[in-house]
Amino acid sequence: MNRLVTYLVFMIVATCAVAQTNVTGMVIDREANEPISGASVIIKGADDKIKKFASTKTDGKFAMSVPTVKGCRLKVTMMGFTKQSIPLDSTVFPLTIYLEPGSIQLKEVAVKADRIREQGDTITYNVSGFAQQQDRSIGDVLKRMPGIDVAKNGKIQYQGEDINKFYIEGSDLLGGKYGIATNGISHDDVGAVEVMENHQPMQILSGIAFSDKAAINLKLKNKAKATWTFHGDAGGGYSWQPDGAIWDGEMFAMAVMPSFQNITTLRTNNTGENLSASSTDFFAGRRQTGLNQYVSVGLPGVPALNEKHTLFNRSLLVSTNSLWKFGKGEFKANIDYSFNRVTADASNITTYFLDYDGRGRRDVSRPYGENRVITENRSGTEHTHSLSGKFIYELNRKTAYINNTLRTHVDWNDVDLTTTGSIPNSQSAKLPDYYVSNNFKMIKRFKGKHLVTFQSVNEWESLPQTLTMNINNPGRDAIYRVRIDGDIFTQHISDHAFYTNESAAYAFNIKGITLSLEGGIKGYLRSMDSQLPDIPGELPGLTENVVNTNYIIVYATPKLEYWVRRVNLSLNLPVSYAHYTFDKAIADHDEVYFSPSLSFNWKPNNRFSGTLRGGLGRSPMNLNLIHPGLIMTNYRILKAGTEQFYNSSSQNLSADVNYKHTRYGLFANGMVIQSWTHVPYTMAQQLYGDYVVYSYADAKNDSKMLMAMGNIGKTLDFMRGSCNINGSFSRNESQLLSQERFVNSVSTGWSIGGKISGSPFRWLSFNYRIGYSDSRLTMNGQSESWLSTMENELNMTFIPHRKWQWTVSGEHYCNELTENKYKNVVMLDTKLTYQLNKRIELAAVLTNILDKRSYNYTTYSELSSFESRRQLRGRQLLLSITLRK
Amino acid sequence: MNRLITPIIMCLVAIAASAQQKADIIVSYEIKSRNWETDTISVKKMTLLANTHESKYFNDLSLWSDSMSSTPEGKKELQQIIMAACMTQTPGGGLSIDLRKGPVKNVYTYVFCNTTDNRLRYYDKFAGELCYYDEPMDEMQWEIRDSTANILGYECIAARTDYHGREWTAWFAPELPLPYGPWKFHGLPGMILKVEAVPGFELTATGIEKTDKTITPMYSPDGYQKVDRKKALVEDEYYMNNREAIIKAKHGDVQFNYNYADRPKYDALKYAPEPDYKNK
Repeated sequence: MNRLVTYLVFMIVATCAVAQTNVTGMVIDREANEPISGASVIIKGADDKIKKFASTKTDGKFAMSVPTVKGCRLKVTMMGFTKQSIPLDSTVFPLTIYLEPGSIQLKEVAVKADRIREQGDTITYNVSGFAQQQDRSIGDVLKRMPGIDVAKNGKIQYQGEDINKFYIEGSDLLGGKYGIATNGISHDDVGAVEVMENHQPMQILSGIAFSDKAAINLKLKNKAKATWTFHGDAGGGYSWQPDGAIWDGEMFAMAVMPSFQNITTLRTNNTGENLSASSTDFFAGRRQTGLNQYVSVGLPGVPALNEKHTLFNRSLLVSTNSLWKFGKGEFKANIDYSFNRVTADASNITTYFLDYDGRGRRDVSRPYGENRVITENRSGTEHTHSLSGKFIYELNRKTAYINNTLRTHVDWNDVDLTTTGSIPNSQSAKLPDYYVSNNFKMIKRFKGKHLVTFQSVNEWESLPQTLTMNINNPGRDAIYRVRIDGDIFTQHISDHAFYTNESAAYAFNIKGITLSLEGGIKGYLRSMDSQLPDIPGELPGLTENVVNTNYIIVYATPKLEYWVRRVNLSLNLPVSYAHYTFDKAIADHDEVYFSPSLSFNWKPNNRFSGTLRGGLGRSPMNLNLIHPGLIMTNYRILKAGTEQFYNSSSQNLSADVNYKHTRYGLFANGMVIQSWTHVPYTMAQQLYGDYVVYSYADAKNDSKMLMAMGNIGKTLDFMRGSCNINGSFSRNESQLLSQERFVNSVSTGWSIGGKISGSPFRWLSFNYRIGYSDSRLTMNGQSESWLSTMENELNMTFIPHRKWQWTVSGEHYCNELTENKYKNVVMLDTKLTYQLNKRIELAAVLTNILDKRSYNYTTYSELSSFESRRQLRGRQLLLSITLRK
Repeated sequence: MNRLITPIIMCLVAIAASAQQKADIIVSYEIKSRNWETDTISVKKMTLLANTHESKYFNDLSLWSDSMSSTPEGKKELQQIIMAACMTQTPGGGLSIDLRKGPVKNVYTYVFCNTTDNRLRYYDKFAGELCYYDEPMDEMQWEIRDSTANILGYECIAARTDYHGREWTAWFAPELPLPYGPWKFHGLPGMILKVEAVPGFELTATGIEKTDKTITPMYSPDGYQKVDRKKALVEDEYYMNNREAIIKAKHGDVQFNYNYADRPKYDALKYAPEPDYKNK
């Protein structure tokens, strides 16, 4: 029996052995001529299904057995080598397979850390999760992060509130001029953007004084740390209007070291790019010197079109910013110089249909014959130089805070505006501004609970203004009354002020309640005088002013703050006594002001936060309005101030809520503000010949303002994109006295907008934005029609190859000029980029392909037509090279 | 002299080479499984770094946390980071610490596969203790199926395995010739991009990229003790069912702000990925 079984078993084994084919072999790296271990070896049948698989051993050998190799193929694959496929029919084993080095193309599906993460009060946005191929600076990427909003001028908001600090690797190098960083730092050097909610910049106050603002911190990638990074960009080309050469250049250097930081940048262009986003201090508060320019000569602008199509500029910006850390403190120096030359041309043609018969119908027998045509061609140039320096020493510790900030700012602003046509004239204004301030603040903490603060603020400003007008009316005009031929008027204004504020504060903190009292004294000295020696005879009043407006204020601000867990309640009760002296112009005034305000913040969890605020109070008028004589603003407008001292009162209420869910990438916020202002004087408008004279009259003026806005942003992870919807509504009501008649004016407006961006495919990314707004003016209950504007902007970038990028962008504007009359404008731009290597990139940009050179429109009313002509930048071609270190 | 130096240099080179293995590919996975206490699906994110010879499967936050903790200064810094994120200081001097708010490690799983040594090493926390065990790589045997699927743009082929008491279906991409996958899955002629099992186990790749990251060895391996897999799982089940009592026994009277008395017992056949330890 056993024998039989054994025999049978042998038989079976033998049959199997006969039927099986042993597929064996060895895989060898052809280049190194060495066996490859770990290569994947698959036998696929005639049906392309996997029959067997194995991987090569350390000696490169493999062995498998299959019943038959008929129609089978052997596939050998290995990372870093091109794959091999060998038919197994009539092959002799063992095989020797040579693999050639080569890369296996990956369908790269990005492995991403979460695009947005949340840790405590810090929200971290992964930069590469939001960046697109065509992006250059970190500012381009910030715009796409939900919850963060970058305004047109470069200002950053988080959940509808302005940020209060902008850090680079935890250091506040740039202060409010963070536009230098957002427009300069390459997004490729930044790993993450952190938003710190409820950020209290002064460490000594953390946990004591509540902050509802957020700060932004750029976390740099390691390659950009502890070294200098450079990039430069140089471009030149040709523009069809203005006809001539164009340039665009940028140099940017940054060092981020443990004890030293520096950013130095130089930018220049005449391509219509406004550099002011890089030179504006977004944290600058109002200057307490309180001087305003009386002279206002502005260049004509083009409404509702993107500035890059309408700005005729030559701009230069140089900025160097350094920060040194030593001991426990740090010293910062920021020095900026900017130059801007802007020109603008505009013409308006107003045609008055005078040949109407007495009943308002046109006399057809005399078409246009007697029409009165007034043309006004304005052509102006503005030169602005601005030099500013800021020097800060700061010690920011848990137990002490010291900050001294010295600021100097000099501006030279010259405007020349020539008007030709029916009322030819030329105006030239020289408006330099000199400003120096020093701000010292010291806070010390004693025994953990007691805080003492000393602060000293001193500011000085001088704002001389010279306006020269040359009115060379060739003759006498029936509509425009008598003018003296070839008159030259020159108006000089000198205006300077000094402000000082010395204060001390004591705060005591126990069980979540902080009681503080700040007391101090403010002094203010200002003198202004103006002369306009020759004036047209028809104007009433004096044109000379000598005014001193001085005050001394003693104030005390008790403050109560209750902050336990999720609730913060803060009550401010500032009270002050002020003594005003005005030389002989007005009698001295003694006033007491009390302006309480209350705010309540509730943050039940990390996702939701709500704030209610309210306040009321009395405040003095703007002291610039005190001048008995006339001051000329421009060739048509004069302003007469008041000879009275007034106080105004106001109330305000506001509420805001915000919600976020970082895991879903959802951010939403909403806000409502209502305010009431009661002013005992009203602006009056009176026409004297060609001149408009504004003055103030004793009359109650109650104005109301209501504003509401909301914003929702969401990430769209499936295409590495994001979207945003926003809306706003506003209503302003105020009063004006025109030609001795009261005019109640209400302006109402609302807007809605949305944007969406993403990179759905590896070869395509896009950004689309739409904005629609509607506004209306109602005077004395008579409503004009709603006028709307709509803007669409789409740009798409195609990446056909790793080294090539092609961007096409289009803008469409639809502006309603009068009811149901629309002006449509389409602008097309394109850009081609070639990346030569990691360091060098070449680009060609063609803007305004359709070569639209003017923005003209005509509107008709019953008795006149108004034609407006504005110039646009024509087609331009720019070739540029970018270098990176 | 030269005779001595050469082997030393060779040794150093070998050490350097073995310590500095660069990965070719990085894959991110989303891991879904049922939570035994709530019977709801819970999700976590894991990462796989792999080259031809080895792979490492881990959680990003845990890796970062462990790398910080591996030096005394780093450990201190990590504590500060966690405290800064989790601690809310109320002005009255009160403190509240909510560890859910900070970067606190809560995934202990690491899987290292090495085809040269034919060894899989698994690190995790069992019954509150850090442990590891080794298992030979050929314990997982696959059977290739006919069905296919497209995952992240890769044509994948299905395969089936009975592994430690549960039946799993995996999809692998022959275009990516690396025999690794999420968790302990390995041994297919292509990267495993998806694995499924009833009830509710689902491990899916969410991203694939080339990488030059280094496959670093385990941080602080001395903190882990070697165990037998089945024994560790038995102890872990006991721990899960009696967690509060064990904590009380260890730390004295601790109050729990939830009722654990009427919690169901751990159902290994339903929830454990490797229920074979129940088969006596």
